[in-house]
Amino acid sequence: MTIDMSQFYQVFFDEAAEHLANMEGLLLGLDVSAPSLDDLNAIFRAAHSIKGGAGTFGFTDIASVTHVLENLLDKLRKEELALATEMVDAFLAAGDVLKGQLDAHRNGGSSNPGDAEDVTHRLEALTSGGTVAPATAAVAEASPATVTPMNAQDNMLADVSEALSGTASRWLITFKCDAEGEALEKLWAGLRDLGGLETRSRPAKKGKKSKLEGKWEVELVTSQGEAAVRELFDFVVNVEDLTVQLVTPPAPVKAPEQEAYGFFDDAPGNPLGLENDSGYGFFQSAPGSPLQEVEGSGYGFFEPMVVASGGAAVVEQSYGFFEPVPPAVAANIAKVESEKAVALASAPEPEAGATLRNEAVPGRRASDQPSVAEVKVGRRDNDKAVAAATASGDSSSIRVGVEKVDQLINLVGELVITQSMIAQMASKVDPVIYESLIHGLDQLERNTRSLQESVMSIRMMPIAFVFSRFPRVVRDLASKLGKKVELKTVGEGTELDKGVIEKIADPLTHLVRNSLDHGIESTERRIEAGKPETGTITLKAFHQSGYIVIEVIDDGGGLSRERILAKARERGMSISDSMADSEVWQLIFEAGFSTAEKVTDVSGRGVGMDVVKRNIAAMSGRIEIDSSLGHGTRISIRLPLTLAILDGMSIEVGGELFIVPLTLIIESFQPTAEDLSTVRGSGVMVKVRGEYLPVIALHEVLGLQPRLVQHGKGIILIVESEGKRVAMLVDELVGQHQVVIKSLDSNYRKVPGFSGATIMGDGRVALILDVGAVVQRAGQQLLEAA
Amino acid sequence: MMQAVIENYHASAGVAGASPGPVQELLTFTLGKEEYGIEILKVQEIRGYDSVTAIPNSPDFIKGVINLRGVIVPIVDLRIKFALGSAEYNQFTVVIILSVANRVVGIVVDSVSDVLALGDEQLRPPPELGTIMDSSYIIGLGALQDRMLILVDIEKLLTSRDLGLIDQVSQ
Repeated sequence: MTIDMSQFYQVFFDEAAEHLANMEGLLLGLDVSAPSLDDLNAIFRAAHSIKGGAGTFGFTDIASVTHVLENLLDKLRKEELALATEMVDAFLAAGDVLKGQLDAHRNGGSSNPGDAEDVTHRLEALTSGGTVAPATAAVAEASPATVTPMNAQDNMLADVSEALSGTASRWLITFKCDAEGEALEKLWAGLRDLGGLETRSRPAKKGKKSKLEGKWEVELVTSQGEAAVRELFDFVVNVEDLTVQLVTPPAPVKAPEQEAYGFFDDAPGNPLGLENDSGYGFFQSAPGSPLQEVEGSGYGFFEPMVVASGGAAVVEQSYGFFEPVPPAVAANIAKVESEKAVALASAPEPEAGATLRNEAVPGRRASDQPSVAEVKVGRRDNDKAVAAATASGDSSSIRVGVEKVDQLINLVGELVITQSMIAQMASKVDPVIYESLIHGLDQLERNTRSLQESVMSIRMMPIAFVFSRFPRVVRDLASKLGKKVELKTVGEGTELDKGVIEKIADPLTHLVRNSLDHGIESTERRIEAGKPETGTITLKAFHQSGYIVIEVIDDGGGLSRERILAKARERGMSISDSMADSEVWQLIFEAGFSTAEKVTDVSGRGVGMDVVKRNIAAMSGRIEIDSSLGHGTRISIRLPLTLAILDGMSIEVGGELFIVPLTLIIESFQPTAEDLSTVRGSGVMVKVRGEYLPVIALHEVLGLQPRLVQHGKGIILIVESEGKRVAMLVDELVGQHQVVIKSLDSNYRKVPGFSGATIMGDGRVALILDVGAVVQRAGQQLLEAA
Repeated sequence: MMQAVIENYHASAGVAGASPGPVQELLTFTLGKEEYGIEILKVQEIRGYDSVTAIPNSPDFIKGVINLRGVIVPIVDLRIKFALGSAEYNQFTVVIILSVANRVVGIVVDSVSDVLALGDEQLRPPPELGTIMDSSYIIGLGALQDRMLILVDIEKLLTSRDLGLIDQVSQ
């Protein structure tokens, strides 16, 4: 009966992470004074889905936090409580806690349970503190349009007890039962037919194979007599193992009857509908193991082990599967568009009972998967469309593993090389005789090009996936710093490679935090300077000739040339007052460089900007600063569209072909004898416009025999490496190519001095130079020689 | 070349089916005067030696990398590694492309001779010394009618620290 749930964990983690991100985005977009009901519902659904998944997979900590979260959200969307800023803060905090818990589960670590408790208390306080107490049960009020199946089903339980409350008695039934599976299912089904059922405690199961120990304790609210109840237990339970006790005699009054459940700690008179979630009793009564109760709530056809960790989601599903759904409720479920899939998956399949646990997972997936897939793959649409698709569960996209896509890209890359090889061969034939062949080859070329383009575009994602995190970053940080800051994003639809997206997030976060902390002035200073009170940070992305440019613009104080220069002098850096502004600004990327007057916990330690620059450089990008004192700063990052393709210059040294990334090359020239001079102890220097640069003879570093032995022949390539400029002596420049980067270490190992390899048009392999490493190596060789 | 090997393989597989007991199928190649056998399932293909791009500053037995249908594959010349006289590269030089430890690696040998099925009764324990390879890579000896086959754990050999084909960190 057990299936290995862990195989679905990854799906859950992915889904939950997306739901959380979605939730956070919606929360940040909420207008506190007039929240949109749609948004609240969407947030609720996200929380609900996470809870469901967490329950199914037995992540009780996640389930319990989301449950409390959901309670408050439920009140909000039913307009029983007014949204307040502190609620949004609490929601965001809960989101963070959940993220931590998810990470903990994913990586097998542990999250801080204190955080979860704090946020749970916070949410509970908000939930109960603001409780308005409507006189009538909320069941009647809950508008069909906002009822999710969970609630519909909860309401059903409420309906049952309400309907029965006039004449019903409450029975406490204790019994011992070894039976599992079908026999037990029948029993539960029978009991439920009699009335409302609650499980108080269930037998513990020790070990996987051992028998159940202990007793079942269930509460039944029914209008039937004891005999009818006992009758059900015939054949399943020995008579001596069964006790049936009358707890409450028929109670005509509703409110006390609800209290008589005994496991709410709600204020008396709290309407059942309002608290219908807690009506399950899985929270307040057993704080230690919040989901223990649920698991037993009578749908015991799951194997206890699984259900013990099952929790809410399974119960939800099981309701759909088994409860005789009252038509009205079923209709309600069906009306709830976003949850349509759940209703479809569950309602029409009552016979799926025996295989419920198996069904439950596909059921969930059937309902959630399309929307998630939409989020993942649907990136090609703009973000609004993504959000819309998430809500509607559109299934027009599929989720594909990155490695499959990469394989496809590789194959297409091969095809392009093969095509160009054929084209090269065909260029030698007589175009008159082979006219149709050449015609066909032209077509082949066009088709392969467009094939390559569309395949490459699979990996492209809109930068909105990075930008979307910043409203939160800005909001949190601005409130921490007591600044008023508005974030604008422009060009979120700009697409770039997934690999770049993943790597750009951290540097960009750093830049935004920096702008917020150091760029934007305090409110008072802004008013003094005659600027609007609220500062603006703009994130902008656009394409520019094969590159993507991402800009972080703030309208803050700007960089102070004097202060940077003073600081640089203090640190003993070689600077001059005549340096161009752009060069001065580059100084802030030096390690340990900070002009901040005081170090805060946000920034100012001078770590970070150098890391940012290094990260950008690692993606063969460039970072530039443009600043005007008193008006603001603009930091632009230029990145290649994809990490898989590199603009390179092919060079020849000692008969071998190498690729140098084009972004690193500043200039190249043929040196004359006068340009070169030998400095004792530090090798050869070359004079470039009055500046002396060290010359690195590439053939020496690579241990090759150069074709052109003396300096003075060959070509000098000025390259930038880690902020320094060096001259590289090579035999020849061959040409400029776009090359597909292949890793050397997938079949071999990392080779010092090379960042990878590529396949040239003729099918040969060429190695891509890692300029930084080559420069380093040259320095070492020089040291060894000296 | 490949075609011939495959035909040979099928022929010997037929023989293997008839004989009782566990049977190991081996690709045999020669290095110097010795004949070696490696597990056939590790062999991906056999091809000629062509357009190898040298990797600067690497040991001389690592000839470089080739483009094998879009995959960058390192080539190791076992003849140089085991110092077996002249290592010539001509149209008869053979590269065995192996798939070991989730990697694709090519080895250059003197010649590929056969595909054989070896029964348990033909296996002998490895010798203590006397072969050009370190005996720790040798699984055993195979006795054929008139010759002796040295069975090599090619995966162990190629992932060994000795060859440095793999980053030591990843080991």
